[in-house]
Amino acid sequence: MSTAVETPAHSVAERLAEEDLREAHQDSDEVARHHAAPSRILERAVATSVLGLSILGYFGARSVPVANETGGLDPRWWPANICLVAIALSAILLVVSFRSPPFDRDDLEPISEGGWFRLFSTLLLSTAFVVAWNLTGNFVVPCALLLATLVWVYGARGWKTLALFPVVTSGCIYLLFHTLLKVPL
Amino acid sequence: MNPVIQGLEALVDPTVLLGMALGIGIGMLVGTFPGVTAAMAVALASGFTLTLAPVEGLAVLLSIYVGANFGDRVPAILINTPGTPAAISTTFDGYPMAKQGKAGLALVISGLATAVAILLSMVVFAVAAVPIASFALNFGPFEFFALVVFGLTIMISISSKSLVKGILAGLFGLFLATVGHDPITPDARFTFGLDVLADKLDFIAVIIGLFGIAELFDQMLSHSKTKLKPVSSLGRWWPNKSEYRQMGKPLALGSTIGTIVGIVPAAGGDIAGLIGWDRAKRISKHPEKFGKGSIEGVVAADAASASTLGGALTTTLALGIPGDSVLAVMLGSMIIWGLQPGPQLFVSNPDLVVSITAIMVIATLVSLALNLVRMRGLVKVLDLPAHFLWASILVFCVIGTYATTNNISTVVVMLVAGVVGVVMKRTGFPAGPVVLGLLLGPLAEANLRRAMLIDGPSGFLTNPIAAIILTLAILAFIGTLVGRIRQNRRSATVLAEAARELNTPGAETTSTMNDARTVRTPQKED
Repeated sequence: MSTAVETPAHSVAERLAEEDLREAHQDSDEVARHHAAPSRILERAVATSVLGLSILGYFGARSVPVANETGGLDPRWWPANICLVAIALSAILLVVSFRSPPFDRDDLEPISEGGWFRLFSTLLLSTAFVVAWNLTGNFVVPCALLLATLVWVYGARGWKTLALFPVVTSGCIYLLFHTLLKVPL
Repeated sequence: MNPVIQGLEALVDPTVLLGMALGIGIGMLVGTFPGVTAAMAVALASGFTLTLAPVEGLAVLLSIYVGANFGDRVPAILINTPGTPAAISTTFDGYPMAKQGKAGLALVISGLATAVAILLSMVVFAVAAVPIASFALNFGPFEFFALVVFGLTIMISISSKSLVKGILAGLFGLFLATVGHDPITPDARFTFGLDVLADKLDFIAVIIGLFGIAELFDQMLSHSKTKLKPVSSLGRWWPNKSEYRQMGKPLALGSTIGTIVGIVPAAGGDIAGLIGWDRAKRISKHPEKFGKGSIEGVVAADAASASTLGGALTTTLALGIPGDSVLAVMLGSMIIWGLQPGPQLFVSNPDLVVSITAIMVIATLVSLALNLVRMRGLVKVLDLPAHFLWASILVFCVIGTYATTNNISTVVVMLVAGVVGVVMKRTGFPAGPVVLGLLLGPLAEANLRRAMLIDGPSGFLTNPIAAIILTLAILAFIGTLVGRIRQNRRSATVLAEAARELNTPGAETTSTMNDARTVRTPQKED
């Protein structure tokens, strides 16, 4: 009798547990899709790089040319000490990266398809814009070209976006900054 | 005639009113554009106002000063890019609120906190200008270095996840601050013969790179069409009764901290905002909400940074020492007008002091009204497709940076800082401590070396003010460390219990599962 009563109750509990588990896995998958994954390799690479940069910084600080060699609290003292502390801390970071689980990265979204292309294209185009602006001394034309190319790279199509937007925006910026705020563009 | 009446009468002049209207408009505009600072706008406006009467000119300059303090919060909340350095701490909770669909609420709360804080700080200015400023005048190298150390401990509490990474980020900022000429001797450090590095790294370029460009690059990397909670819904605008109540404590705390920090020469809204945010987090009943869209966080940060205006004005006018970079520019204009800021100003031109107070108060109230009305139109920016926003923000960051020095090399510095910023962001190093280190580095190094030369390390023990500030800094560091260890242990216990009970089918599983989901929910919203 008692078994007959307990069995349905137990199976309901089991079903609830299974549903919760399934829901938890779904939640977990959903979260994983929107968050960057923790990476032990990344943590080790970061710690090693920071350690290397700190050592480089220390030797750089020690080799700063000083007009009067007074020793003690000279211009090398402060940056060299900063680097020494950084060396110690990055060594700790390196040890932690081998001994502890990697830091979660739930505040970051994973890199999406086309993400690297957008980033490197933007960097390349921005560099080209700076060079063109510097060489020609003209702001408006390189700026309009930059805007047109950028929106094309980001996936926009249509003449309004590719022609009207860059021309109007460049013109407005020129009027606002060059004419009103007297920034020599 | 009574100086109060005389000072107020001077404001009835239509030229003064026109100057205030113009100043508020320009101030809000430059504040809204990331990288275009109030100091730059005041410097540009100084050239045009020198031919005006002192009250008329001051109406323009002070209104720009106030207007920029309202405008700079808008991009900080909407695009995670502080319009000026004073709005750095606004991004901590303002942007998460916007991402949760509460941008409208964040903007209104920010505007209200800014206005109330400026008005409160002006009360301090009006009542206690000379006695308070004379206290900060006693600060020597020991006290200044102790103050910097106290400020630097903030970088630890604002750094995320890894304490070590936070400190390393701060050290990186301190190291970057050593680029250029040594603060005591004329020796050059890490300039590599480049003109752009000869003086020092341009602070504005680095801040725009680390905050604006890095965020932009990160969005480009991770952008996808399906998002959990995109920053497109503004939600409601006005706070409810419960939210108004939440504002009280951080507002009082932030205003007090900001006014005190503002009195200290060179310490501006950026430092005050960071300290105010951190202190409010410590006394809050819900510190876990800070950095994730806390109303208290927005209020404390904005109240602290905005209330530096009254404190900085106190130091500038009562002592003749500029309270911040904007007032340093303004000080130059006042001297050209034949006014000598300092205690004597209160004796020789009491009516002008009254006029200045009234200009600040009126500009604050008008800016608040404009801020609330104008934001409704401005927030439509969020509805723009990503390609318009990304391209526009990139170009505005370039122009804003260029405008600070009129030198294209500064733009290169900004782009490099952007690349460094996105690498740091993706690898878990916070940008806030870098900026703070860069800002406080020269002050720390110069004062420490001077202090050591004057009296040696024992001087920190024999100077009571320095000793108290250093003790507070040490306590703040230990408090943060202990808090983090406890937090990690609590999280580990909850996760271990959840994992253990997940493997035990039964009635208890349901409640544990709910707990486990509760732990993850905030992460999902991030």
